[in-house]
Amino acid sequence: MGLRRRVSTAIGLAQSTIGALAAIFAFILYYDFSGIQTVLNVPQNDVLFYMLILIVLGFVSIISGLFLVNEQ
Amino acid sequence: MIGIGGAISAGVFVMLGHAVTLAGTTVIIALILCGIINLFTMCSYAELGAALPKAGGEYTFSKAAFGGFFSFFTGWFEWISNMFFAALSAVGFAYMIPYILPMEMPLTSVAVIAITMIAIFAAINTRGVKEAGTAETAMILILLAILVAYILSGISTSPMQSLQVYAPEGLFGVIKATSYIFVVYLGAEAVAVAQAEIKNPSKTIPRAILISAAALIAFYTLIAYVTLRMVPPEKLSGQSAPIIFAAEHALGKLGTVLLVIAGTIAALSSLNTSIMAQSRVAYAMSRDGYFPKAFSKIHSKFSTPHVAVIIGSVFTAVLAATGVINFVGYATDFGFIIGFALVNLSLIKLRRERPLIDRPFKTPLYPFMPIAGVVTSLFLLIFIDVGVLSLGIILCLLAVFAYYARMVGYLRFRIAFGGISLGLGFFTTMLTFSVLSGAISFNGVSPTTSSIILFILIFTGITEIAAGILNVTAKSAASS
Repeated sequence: MGLRRRVSTAIGLAQSTIGALAAIFAFILYYDFSGIQTVLNVPQNDVLFYMLILIVLGFVSIISGLFLVNEQ
Repeated sequence: MIGIGGAISAGVFVMLGHAVTLAGTTVIIALILCGIINLFTMCSYAELGAALPKAGGEYTFSKAAFGGFFSFFTGWFEWISNMFFAALSAVGFAYMIPYILPMEMPLTSVAVIAITMIAIFAAINTRGVKEAGTAETAMILILLAILVAYILSGISTSPMQSLQVYAPEGLFGVIKATSYIFVVYLGAEAVAVAQAEIKNPSKTIPRAILISAAALIAFYTLIAYVTLRMVPPEKLSGQSAPIIFAAEHALGKLGTVLLVIAGTIAALSSLNTSIMAQSRVAYAMSRDGYFPKAFSKIHSKFSTPHVAVIIGSVFTAVLAATGVINFVGYATDFGFIIGFALVNLSLIKLRRERPLIDRPFKTPLYPFMPIAGVVTSLFLLIFIDVGVLSLGIILCLLAVFAYYARMVGYLRFRIAFGGISLGLGFFTTMLTFSVLSGAISFNGVSPTTSSIILFILIFTGITEIAAGILNVTAKSAASS
C-alpha cells in the first residue's frame, strides 16, 4: 500500500467519523438529550439553524471520507 | 392471518400514548384514516404481487416499472425502513420490560436492552432460521387471542359510558397523529409479497388483502376505543406502553401479564422479520450492482448473507441507541411512506407501458386508487416531525449521491466533494481564528466546554482541508 493510499485511508476514516458524529450530534442537539442545549447555551430558536449546519457538514464529510477510504 | 398477524408489531403497544397526546380521543379517527390510506396502497400491492410473480416486494415492483435510479431509490428506502422498523421493535420491547421486572427504565437502559436484542437476533439471522411455520402461526393466534380477550374484557369491565370527543390540537392534531401512527398498519403487505406460497393467488390475495386491511381498521379502532374507555386520555397521554398501562389499570395482574406476552411476541417477531428483510434487500441490491459486493457474500457454513445482516444490524443498533420511540416511529413512517408512494407510481407506470401483462387482480377505480395512494401518503410526510424530516431529506440526498457516484461520474463527484471539503475546512479554520482572537466568544459556556469545542474545530478544519486536497488531486494521482 503506497503512502498516498495510507494517508487517504487515515484521513478518510477521520473525516467520515467527524461526519457521522456531526450528524448524530445534530439530532442530540435537536432532541436536547442530557440538556445539551443548556450546556452549550444554544437558544431554542437557533437549534434548527445549527442542526442544518451540522447535517450539511456531516453529509459532505461522510461522502468525501468514503471516497478517500475507497480510493482505487 | 399473515396480513393481520404481520401488521401487529410493537408499534400498536407503544405508540398510542403519543398519538393520544396529539389527538386525544380522536386518535380513533386517525387510526381509521391510516387504514383507508393503507387500503389504497394495499390494492396496488395486490395487483403487482399477483402480476409479478417474483417475491421481493417494493424493490421488485419498481425494478420492473422503472429500473435504474428509481429501483435503487425504492430498494434504498426499503432497506432503511426495515432497519428503522427493527429499531422500533427493539425499543418497543425494551419499554415493556418494567411491566415484567420491577426496575427503573432510564433512556440508557432502554438503549442497552434494545441493542442486546438486536445483537441476539442478528446472531440468529446470521446462523439462519428455518421456517417455523406452525410455531409462527400459533404465536400469531396467541397474539390475536390475547388482543381479542383484551377488547372483550375491556368492554365488559369498564363502565358503560360514551367517549367524549377530545381533540387538544383539533384537526391538525388528528392529521399529525395519523402521520405518526401510520406505522401500525405496516406489515399487511406481506400477503402480496408472500403470494408464491399462497394457493390460487389471483383470488386469494385480493380477498386476503381487502379482508385483512378492513379487519385491521376494525381491530385497531376497537383497541383504541377500549383503551380510551378504560383510561382517560389525560392519563394515557405520554405513556411508554399505553395498552399495557391500561390493562394494568383496569384488568389487574393477569391482564397485564397477558398483554406483556402479546407485546413481546409482536415486538420480537417483527424485530426478527425486519432484520431478515433488510438483509435480503441489501443482498438483492448488491447482486444487482447497486450495493458493494460484500453485501451479497454468503456464509460458507450457514448459507446466509451474513455481511448484510451484520452491517444492517449495526445501523439498527445505532438507531435504537437513541431509545426514543417517537423518533424511530416517525423515521419508520418516513421510509415506508416513500416506499408506498413508489409502489403506487410503479403500478401506474406498468399499467401505461406494459398493459398486456397478465393481471389476475386489477386495482378497482384505476387511476383514482393509486393516485389517492400517492397523494395521501405524501401528504402525511408534511406532518412528520421536523427532525425526522431532515433525516429523511439527508437519506434522499445520500441515495442520489450514492447512486450516481456508483453508477456514473465517480471522479467528477469526488472532485466536487473535495472542493466542498476544502471550503468547509477553510470556513472552520477561519472560525477557529475568530474564536482564538476573541472576535467570537462562547457566552455562557464553561471554559472546559469552550476548550473542547476549540479542539474539535481545529481537528475538523485540518481534516477537512487534508481530505479536500486529496480528493481534488485524485485525478492526477490516478493518472500518474
